[in-house]
Amino acid sequence: MYRSARFVAMVAVAGLAASACGGSASGGADETAGDTLVVGVDLPLQGASKDASEATVNAMKLYLEQVGGKAGKYKVELKVYDDSTAAKGAWDDATCAKNAQDHVANASEVAVMGTYNSGCAKLEVPVLNADPKGPMLMVSHANTNPGLTKAWDPGEPEKYFPNGKRNYARVIATDDYQGAAGAQFVAKDLGVKKCYVLNDNQTYGQGVAKAFAEEAEKQGITVLGNEPWDAKQPNYTALFTSIKAKKPDCVFLGGIFDNNGGQLIKDKVKVLGDNEKVKVLAPDGFTGYPEFDELAQAQGSYMTFMGLASESLREQGGMGAKLLDAYKKKYGEDPASNYALYGVEALQVILSAIEKSDGTRKGVRDAVFEGEGITIPADESAVGKEMSVSPETGDVNVIDVSVLHLESKTEKFHKSWPVG
Amino acid sequence: MGYETKTGAARRRPALPVAHHLRWPLGFTAAAATVFLAYYYLVPGLGPDGQQFFQTWLPLTSVNEALVWVICALGLNIVVGYAGLLDLGFVAFWALGGYTAGWLMSGFFHQVNIHVFGGGLPTLPGIHFNFWFVLLIGAAFCALWGVIIGAPTLRLKSDYLALVTLGFGEIIPQVFVNGEDIGGFNLSNGTKGITPVDPISFGPVELGPFDLVWKYLIFVGIAALVMFISLRLREGRLGRAWLAIREDELAAGMMGVPLMRTKLSAYAVGAVAGGLAGVAFATHVGGVLPDRFNFSISITLLAMVVLGGMGNVWGVTLGALVLAWINSTGLPQFGNTFNESFGTDINFPSYNYLLFGGILVLMMIFRREGILPEARTKLVLREPSRTEREALGADMEESAPELDEALEAEDAEREAVAAPGTEDTEDGLGEKAGSTV
Repeated sequence: MYRSARFVAMVAVAGLAASACGGSASGGADETAGDTLVVGVDLPLQGASKDASEATVNAMKLYLEQVGGKAGKYKVELKVYDDSTAAKGAWDDATCAKNAQDHVANASEVAVMGTYNSGCAKLEVPVLNADPKGPMLMVSHANTNPGLTKAWDPGEPEKYFPNGKRNYARVIATDDYQGAAGAQFVAKDLGVKKCYVLNDNQTYGQGVAKAFAEEAEKQGITVLGNEPWDAKQPNYTALFTSIKAKKPDCVFLGGIFDNNGGQLIKDKVKVLGDNEKVKVLAPDGFTGYPEFDELAQAQGSYMTFMGLASESLREQGGMGAKLLDAYKKKYGEDPASNYALYGVEALQVILSAIEKSDGTRKGVRDAVFEGEGITIPADESAVGKEMSVSPETGDVNVIDVSVLHLESKTEKFHKSWPVG
Repeated sequence: MGYETKTGAARRRPALPVAHHLRWPLGFTAAAATVFLAYYYLVPGLGPDGQQFFQTWLPLTSVNEALVWVICALGLNIVVGYAGLLDLGFVAFWALGGYTAGWLMSGFFHQVNIHVFGGGLPTLPGIHFNFWFVLLIGAAFCALWGVIIGAPTLRLKSDYLALVTLGFGEIIPQVFVNGEDIGGFNLSNGTKGITPVDPISFGPVELGPFDLVWKYLIFVGIAALVMFISLRLREGRLGRAWLAIREDELAAGMMGVPLMRTKLSAYAVGAVAGGLAGVAFATHVGGVLPDRFNFSISITLLAMVVLGGMGNVWGVTLGALVLAWINSTGLPQFGNTFNESFGTDINFPSYNYLLFGGILVLMMIFRREGILPEARTKLVLREPSRTEREALGADMEESAPELDEALEAEDAEREAVAAPGTEDTEDGLGEKAGSTV
């Protein structure tokens, strides 16, 4: 019995393992499957980012329909990959690694649109970069961590491009601009002198907080400290009491509202006083949350936002407004996320690269990073402005930062802040 | 295979022309080699449909990931399955192993420039050790931490023990999440994690991200090593001491089993496997990110051990392969296919834990010993305990022919092991008792 059980186990293990062979040792069959090219879409489709990702996919499908599913002489299809797991409710490192392999293994796939999370991009970009038929192009609509395209942490960004050639571009400006715009705004418009910087200890929050602190120093603001807040703490009275002793006239909340931001702002007002006396500035991690907007203690705070909100894009008119109207007509509502139109913008870059290319991965990548790079004219661009991607870095030239002011429970557009 | 049917009353050992101690290594090698060959020669030759099938249902990345789970689950099996010490924080060792790879195989410590047969150009800053050294260092580092974590639990039993291990399982990943600025020193890069990690290299040959077959071979090799360690230790004095502690700690102590040393070695050996898995996983993903190391990993590992069959290496291997595959590929793909064919919109992966929980409950009711149980566990679970028997009377004892069979099989196995002339016929614990009492 024991022996035969062991035998069964062995067979089962062997069977499972034997059937488990797949993937592509050698990159698979070398065919381009007619003239239909696939663009991979790599987004977290489960958990907190689900609505934003679905809106982005819908907007891109809509746009592709409008242009007839074509880029130049090539037919283009989207293939959606999920980089999240239900168990985590967020993007997952092993799934990102697997998706990167799948992108490369899919012979007709020529470029990847995504990812939503910078951490996931940092795992996928080196794999796509090493593609023997590539490097394979990745264009993100939402990665704002600066390290992917510019010198930030030690070794960045070169360490993501092991073969020395860039293959990563994005259509959204990076966190450092947002932090810098925020610092210039509070120094020049609000006239503050002493700021205390808090961060939520995550990639995004730390990046924004670091950029804010650096620019604030340049603007002559004294930065009293840059400290993380622990999202799991029940209250922050002690934190703000220690800050109060330093007498700041502004507090920067570098992070996202999900990390206990509600309690943070309540305790800030309780200990330091209201937002007129001690100004509050938060990055776009605090925008778009009705819970935050409706808090009595949050009123009067300022927020910065990368790019333009859907409302401003609609007012601005042009391609963006048309797309938004078509979206509402087809799906019955506005996109759940301001990133949806940036997703379309990323797709526009990829389509334009495909059009200029010979239909191979290398060709598509070269269209973006060799020569003049990609420029989307203003009348076609989903964000309503001429947009070009720098062939040296893969960064975008359109840097829109909007400053919002929270008044009577709504985020009102305060002014746009140019960053040079 | 050469299995004879039962001819007489006494069940004979199957007549395989292979020595007993060579059977599993040969079987395992054959299975591993079959997969390797199939994948190396067969799959690339299939048409686009065949390739698409494998790519969808059984991609090699999922197989490699499943192997990492196997390595880790085998480590937990030593702690829980052999020594009976319920550990709810095993993810700590996975994290420690992963960060060992992160520290020693990347440009993370950019202040220094150390290269030991490592990947990358010699001019790259950071510490770049060869994968194989890192594997050893990770194993040793985790063994040390196994002892450190094991030490405070020595005086604890059952629930309390589980809670302390749970505590450590929470503490260690938290240290990595918050370890960006420890007195000005950046230990772990916080939530950003450490990316990218160097590829595996053999001398001048470096495995690229697409050399999945070779990575598969390496992971299979590590799994085989952990299996070998598990099986050999179980036969030896240490293994029997673990089993004795599992069955009855008090009795084992009275018989002279050194409880402290035996328990600590269970933690240390288990942690070695966790460390190997951590290093392997870091090279599999190409980085170390702290969000992965949460409580659900410990629970999934435990479910693999319990479902597969606590204490049985093959059961645990099977449990880990199946659960890991369901998690990473099986359920999402089943969901996609189901939704496509029936036009529904059900999010199957979100029912993952419902499914796991349901299976666990059913298993505990109908087959407590797991899919492939260890013969000994089966005996313990099927046989009423002595006190029950005494209380209820001997007539309550059911006759269970399969139980006798299992007993016979185990006896026969012991004979076979003893036959080549080892002095192992005594239980081994007896001699220990003789020397200490």
